[in-house]
Amino acid sequence: MAARLAEEWFAICGGCEVTILDIGEPLLDLLAKVQIVHMPVLMDHKLYGQTGEKAEMEIPEAEIGLVSGGIRSDEHKHLAQEMRRKCKTLIALGSCACYGGIPALANLCSTEELLTKVYRESVTTDKNGFPHEEIPVLTDRVYALSEVVKVDLMLPGCPTTPEMVAGALTALLEGRPFPLSSKSVCDECPTIREKKAVSALRRRLEPPEFTPGAPVNQMRCFIEQGFLCNGPATRSGCGGSDGTPRCIRAYMPCEGCFGPLSEKANPMVDMMGALSSVGLDPKQISDRAASFNRFSGAGRLRPVPKR
Amino acid sequence: MSETELCEAQATGENGGEGWEPLILTFCCYWCAYTGADLAGTSRLQYPTNIRILRVQCSGMVHPNLVIEALTKGADGVLMLGCHPGDCHYLEGNLRARSRAEAISLMLEDFGLEPERFRLEWVSASEGPRFAQVVTEMVEQVKQLGPSPYRS
Repeated sequence: MAARLAEEWFAICGGCEVTILDIGEPLLDLLAKVQIVHMPVLMDHKLYGQTGEKAEMEIPEAEIGLVSGGIRSDEHKHLAQEMRRKCKTLIALGSCACYGGIPALANLCSTEELLTKVYRESVTTDKNGFPHEEIPVLTDRVYALSEVVKVDLMLPGCPTTPEMVAGALTALLEGRPFPLSSKSVCDECPTIREKKAVSALRRRLEPPEFTPGAPVNQMRCFIEQGFLCNGPATRSGCGGSDGTPRCIRAYMPCEGCFGPLSEKANPMVDMMGALSSVGLDPKQISDRAASFNRFSGAGRLRPVPKR
Repeated sequence: MSETELCEAQATGENGGEGWEPLILTFCCYWCAYTGADLAGTSRLQYPTNIRILRVQCSGMVHPNLVIEALTKGADGVLMLGCHPGDCHYLEGNLRARSRAEAISLMLEDFGLEPERFRLEWVSASEGPRFAQVVTEMVEQVKQLGPSPYRS
């Protein structure tokens, strides 16, 4: 019997769902082994029943539950709990579900401030009240899925990689564990490191020095070239079987989308340490909290106290 | 690390109440500051007992996460002591420490801590009196600031 699979999406762009499609040919083999019972992006399965006959939002029972996106409203929270109740194994798909992702940058402001900015203070907006009828209430901040319900497996990445989704689903169907890498991106990065910056901090708009077409291992480390690269505080694994991290392969510094190395890690402290260790001036980093917690804001970013 | 030591000391000092005594974690480099502390001891110099010395091989080993962790887990202040610039046994470990100290000072604000709770000083192996003076000053300063907001 095919394993039933339910998927739900919350505060997210939809990129991780595209990643599922991006699996390519192995997806055909996978689809034979699973039966999708609920997936708003793909099928017309209504939460209140097809004619709206149910009193409560309901998700059919499933062996595998995939959830992408962070928790931003009480509807998301309710559905996350419903997914947990109905799914035997719950997978957080993508960095938004794992760590809050880009939407969690909003945690730098209070919900009140956000609403005021968007509905009252924005120049092009008629100054109206906040919308409140028939829409879910926003939560006080963006939560990661694991802050609301127990998560069995995390697949970080923005978006996560097709290889990882396929690998995790196959492992799950075969009853094998699917451990994440415990190394940092720097551990898998082949660039040349000499522990000394050759340039002051530079903006991302400036091009790094490399020979196009030459292997990445002939290029100098991005941090030592003066670019903010989140490699030291980011979990590896994005490179998949190739090994070399995704962004590095494209001659770009790591954005940090695979999130921190552990639950308790503080990427900002680690990154500030890494940058100052090679001799870069930490004062030049204008927004350290957001720059180094770009994908891991849930539980880590909070409104800056006014002075 | 020194977590048990911190907890122990925490238990003895009432949190900000009567009889509160600050707890200051001190990273001393093996080659200069620790020997300086040793000299202060053998010279019978008096200094407050609020510090806990942690010997490290070089001040360049002290990563910001160690300092931030100490301050958010019960220490009221952190002192980082190393060799004078140019005197580092490992040539430039202390310069790295200086660069990191800047990053640490910036981040204290993010954690809601006063920048005075952290201090980097150079103490050579022959500067016993200076060690006692730096420690006395630091303890006085932290006493004025009061207990760390992370002490609960």
